[in-house]
Amino acid sequence: MRNGPRVILHVALAAVRENVRNRFFTLFAVFAFAAVYASVLAGVMAVDQEGRVLTDFGLTLIEFTVLAYALFNASSVLLREAETKTIYLVFSRPVPRWAYLAGKLAGSLATSAVMLALMGALHLLLLRLRGFPPPAYYAWALCGSLLKLSVITSLALFISLFSTSAVSTLVISGIVWTAGHFSAETGFLAAHSSGAKAAVLKGVLLLIPNFQLFNVRDLASALPAAAFAAAALWTAGACLAASWLLSGKEF
Amino acid sequence: MRLLLAFAALLSWTAGGLFSSVSYRSQFPPPPEIHVPADGASGDMLALAFGARRLFADVWFIRLMQYYGTPELEEGEQAGEYDWLVPGPKSEAEHERHEAAMNGEGRYPEFLPRSLHILQIDPFFTAAGLYSATALAFNMNRPSEAEELLRYGLRYSPREWKYLKVLAAVGYSRSSDPAAVAASIAPLLKDPDCPVMLKQLAAFLNKRSGNVAAAAAIYADIAATSRDPSYVRNAERELRLLAAGRPGR
Repeated sequence: MRNGPRVILHVALAAVRENVRNRFFTLFAVFAFAAVYASVLAGVMAVDQEGRVLTDFGLTLIEFTVLAYALFNASSVLLREAETKTIYLVFSRPVPRWAYLAGKLAGSLATSAVMLALMGALHLLLLRLRGFPPPAYYAWALCGSLLKLSVITSLALFISLFSTSAVSTLVISGIVWTAGHFSAETGFLAAHSSGAKAAVLKGVLLLIPNFQLFNVRDLASALPAAAFAAAALWTAGACLAASWLLSGKEF
Repeated sequence: MRLLLAFAALLSWTAGGLFSSVSYRSQFPPPPEIHVPADGASGDMLALAFGARRLFADVWFIRLMQYYGTPELEEGEQAGEYDWLVPGPKSEAEHERHEAAMNGEGRYPEFLPRSLHILQIDPFFTAAGLYSATALAFNMNRPSEAEELLRYGLRYSPREWKYLKVLAAVGYSRSSDPAAVAASIAPLLKDPDCPVMLKQLAAFLNKRSGNVAAAAAIYADIAATSRDPSYVRNAERELRLLAAGRPGR
């Protein structure tokens, strides 16, 4: 237990190194840069609202690109390590399983944060070149995206421990992502329903993370303090569940 | 130990859900308020599913501008018959039609539903609300529709002074008081959300009421800040005419 933080740091650093060397990282980065640049074209069509359109396109594309990479990474990392037997080598040493998982998650999130920061910087540069100042809420929007990624990546790690393939993890995580953005609509339906239907909908609201809480990109405002607390609780919950599953596995 | 882990996981996850349900209140219109145009349902679905309301509102706004920027055909006219738009000698009727199109006049029956839809997706898109209300009230002479749109915007942004100013201007335009209209929209002109169409209207009203200096200042602002080349060209032309002491019509 005492060497837990050291293990987390080592695993996280190794994960970041591995992610950055992965050719998919480069591919995603190239795609993101191209996509952000393409948003300039959409911005031009909006004439006097070019600044807003350029900002919205860029922020959405950045989030989707990092989401795609984070989900792909989280859904395949444990499966890949089991296939290559690397995980056996790790667990033959005094490495706590929870620390290994936490390290993998920290590495994935650190990579996501780097991608968000790099693409955000490029996007701001584009905005600047087009003559627009950075929007006041820009850093909050990126921070909200990182909180979303924290929840969905930890959940994908958990799902990957019981799903049969990386694809099924991706699909399940994608469904949770979509459903999480419908929380406001689900809440509306629950409020206007009664009996068993309302109970089911309220249960769904408790189980599906509310990604709208982090979606300040749409509100152009600062993140509420509650968003940080909820993200921490959901991430911790998914990590604990993944630790529970991993602790029952034989290596 | 394993059981404890599972319990802690469940507890933490549920606490997150409870926390969010207590602290989150949606600021967007509920689903029944979103009236989707026939060909836009899938786009709206994606807007909600991906948490990208702003982006899809932008797309709807671009589509609205394209709709409004497409000249309307007369009865029996074939698509592509836009000869009256081409620069060159025109008959009196063609000239009138060209002027009307350049001033944004026309029927555009879908203009209000399309404009309302943008605000239903993103009720905080003030610039879109102002643009649409200005076009409806002052270009298409449909002040009641402009008021309906502004009132919808005010439901979600009740303290939005820009909506209130335009609402007042629409009211003055009904009582044919151009000076009051110009005075009402004057505070809006330096705001980044102010549609260039509204600036042009203010310049025109000032010019007509003899306030040439104010009109010139507004035209100069349009020429310097607008990214719409047609407005910039018009502003530059007006500035030349004002400088020559020959204010246009």
